[in-house]
Amino acid sequence: MANNNMGWDEFEIGAMLRSFDGAITDIALKPQEERNYSDNNSFTASVADWRINKPVYNKDYCIDCQFCWVYCPDVSIISRDKKMIGVDYDHCKGCGVCVEVCPTNPKSLLMFPEQVDEETAVAGWPEKEEKEK
Amino acid sequence: MSEMKKIKNLKEFSTSADRFEGANLLCPGCAHSIIVREVLNATNDDLILSASTGCLEVCTAVYPYTSWDASWIHIGFENGSTAVAGAEAMYKALKTKGRLKQPDANPKFVSFAGDGASYDIGFQWISGCMERGHNMMHIVLDNEVYANTGGQRSSSTPIGASATTAPAGRISYGEKKNKKDMVAIMAAHGIPYSAQVAPNKWKDMVKKIQHGMAVDGPVFINAMSPCTTEWKFDPKDTMMLADLATDSLVFPLYEIIDGEKLNITYRPKNIVPVEEYLAAQGRFKHLFKDEYKHLIKEWQERVDKKWEMLQRREEAGV
Amino acid sequence: MAGKRREGEIVMAFDKMELNEVEVWDGNFAAAQALRQVQIDVVSAYPITPSTPIVEGYAKFLSDGYIEGEFMMVESEHAAMSGCVGAAAAGGRVATATSSQGLALMAEVLYQASGMRLPIVLNLVNRALASPLNVNGDHSDMYMVRDSGWIQFDAYNPQEVYDLNLIAFRVAEDHGIRLPAVVNQDGFMTSHTASNVRPLSDDDAYAFVGEFKPMNEMLDFDHPVTHGVQTEEDWHFEHKARQHNDLMTKVFPKIEEVFEEFEKLTGRKYNMVEGYMTEDAEVAIVCMGTSVETALEVARELREEGVKAGVVGIRVFRPWPFEYIIETLKGIKAVATLDRSSPNGAMGALYNECAGSLVNSDVKTVLTNYVYGLGGRDLTKAHVREIFADLKANADAGKATTALQQFIGVRGPKLEYL
Repeated sequence: MANNNMGWDEFEIGAMLRSFDGAITDIALKPQEERNYSDNNSFTASVADWRINKPVYNKDYCIDCQFCWVYCPDVSIISRDKKMIGVDYDHCKGCGVCVEVCPTNPKSLLMFPEQVDEETAVAGWPEKEEKEK
Repeated sequence: MSEMKKIKNLKEFSTSADRFEGANLLCPGCAHSIIVREVLNATNDDLILSASTGCLEVCTAVYPYTSWDASWIHIGFENGSTAVAGAEAMYKALKTKGRLKQPDANPKFVSFAGDGASYDIGFQWISGCMERGHNMMHIVLDNEVYANTGGQRSSSTPIGASATTAPAGRISYGEKKNKKDMVAIMAAHGIPYSAQVAPNKWKDMVKKIQHGMAVDGPVFINAMSPCTTEWKFDPKDTMMLADLATDSLVFPLYEIIDGEKLNITYRPKNIVPVEEYLAAQGRFKHLFKDEYKHLIKEWQERVDKKWEMLQRREEAGV
Repeated sequence: MAGKRREGEIVMAFDKMELNEVEVWDGNFAAAQALRQVQIDVVSAYPITPSTPIVEGYAKFLSDGYIEGEFMMVESEHAAMSGCVGAAAAGGRVATATSSQGLALMAEVLYQASGMRLPIVLNLVNRALASPLNVNGDHSDMYMVRDSGWIQFDAYNPQEVYDLNLIAFRVAEDHGIRLPAVVNQDGFMTSHTASNVRPLSDDDAYAFVGEFKPMNEMLDFDHPVTHGVQTEEDWHFEHKARQHNDLMTKVFPKIEEVFEEFEKLTGRKYNMVEGYMTEDAEVAIVCMGTSVETALEVARELREEGVKAGVVGIRVFRPWPFEYIIETLKGIKAVATLDRSSPNGAMGALYNECAGSLVNSDVKTVLTNYVYGLGGRDLTKAHVREIFADLKANADAGKATTALQQFIGVRGPKLEYL
């Protein structure tokens, strides 16, 4: 999280921001957990309070197709080694795109009200939908 | 020259380490960030990026936060493209003079700008960059309005859309003029590559971005960006809108090589009626009134005509 | 003379020039030579009269192999400064040149460049602003961007154009300063008038300016940076305040340091405010550009006639040399500020700056304003004599004996206000 209270003499000139603390090499080959993010990187902030509903992930139905990963606007679907890990609730805005693009039946991601905890949501997962012939 | 990243399928693509971060201020469901992610993940090379004033810029670089994991610059509204061109010139100068800190890097220079910034106020600047031959890529995030300031019409706003400065009202159906064909205009500069992409066709987008990054010279990409806020649809439906746009051929996906050869890169299995595309968006809902229904018919005719023209060009090899 | 330069292990593929001890250059060519010598990395420019020969000269040097670097001839002045900003943020030595309408067109980018604290040197060949259209020299373009946050030097002749360019790079690129700088010169009167210039050798000029040292550069891929953010009501004030603070407190000490070093190297000493015969002057004219030398000629003649006349040239227009002006004007009984730009409904800029500097000081002087020379209208020695005559009357009376503001050299009924 960045410091929101600095005086005019406390920041770098030109309103310049650094993405990382110190040097970083091969950024494109380093997943987020290996990066030395600076406090000014929005990765260290959270938009969790934007949500009214949140996507809950149910790995029982997931086929690791990665549609949710590619179509998430907020880099909030975490995928490692071609396998779905889950939702990054610090950065998820609850848009629901991931649910819409999920191809499984039942979907492996569904929206639930923010207050519902994940275990309850998974326990109450809907059944497979009968498609019209 | 470094090898282009190999991306055979989506699973392989998913091993990309994003260089764009969340907790930015873009609307939930915004297609801009989907496009930016696809573009940045198409390469592992170093990047120098810019954005012109607009949604992307304003939502990803508000002090004290930045959502960019690569060097990025915003100067103003007109000149994001020229900013990157200047950086590219500096890169060439320092390379010649042997002053690069990472001389083995093979950076890609990419400027992002909205349709307002690109089709209107920044038109001259982009034209200049394309004409001067900088080794860079300009990507338009086309949501067909000045979204960041509340949805005013731009020269990308299509006929019949209700925008705040061309609103549908008692005696008007909204925007009266059709979209400028920026892909053709930019291709007419003779640049090596000009293309139209959409975020739902990630593979087509990645292929085109990679091709654009590999060619030497200026590249122009028009990326369709459905805007949940200004097109007035539910945030969760962003990809559905993109599908309707590409499958109705309202946004055909094609490329133009060296300004001389057009290739269609996506042929929908089932072409969807334009009416379905229009029906999915609040900005067109007035077109379904009796007195404006003829405009829907005209829309279909225009889209058909454009599709016909694209096919004829492709066939003729021009 | 052909030759290759070696810097460490890097062989630069361009030729040096062997210059004479005294060259005869106009202001534009002097600027082009200075830019050649300091080895700009990227010039991003657009042609406009009367600055065009600067970029033409630079282009010819490039095509003759005297320069190694990138030259972007862009499609407008706004694009010129935008390219400069992108290149400067990328991390290297950057310069451009323009005038008048071109400056007006790039005005927004000037504020953006200084706000982003990027070193860029702009050669501004001062020319009138339309409408009506005019290609000749006056200071309306210089005045237009005085609040843009750039350091602003003024050259009165080609020698000074050359010298101030070298000085400007040193000051602007300093890591403690990091502010872009303008070197002004009068359009046509300096830019197209050749006179003697004593240049430094290529090696000495480059050594004085030094190698470019990057800071927060985009091209260091191991340290990605974000330039040009948005700041709203919670941050904007602090960032603008910081810039103002640095202009108010850091720039003059650095300029003084560089002026001193330059004097040791060349014997030519520059000052924030150039006081000519001001120590014992009773009357003085404050002005800028070629008018300084015109006024000085008249002042010398008047001295012979027993009038204690002095001339004050503003060398550094921004930051405004508040304390230096007070110091220089001390003891002078009547001062006229000459403004070569129409203030359009107010007193001239130099009048306001001087009045602002003096009002709380213990300098008591009668201060009046003359608007002159618009659109290249000559300021003649006869005009200057008229002004000094007014000043003598003011000094003797201890108050203004004329209107506070007069237009001088314009046809038609006398224009005088207040």
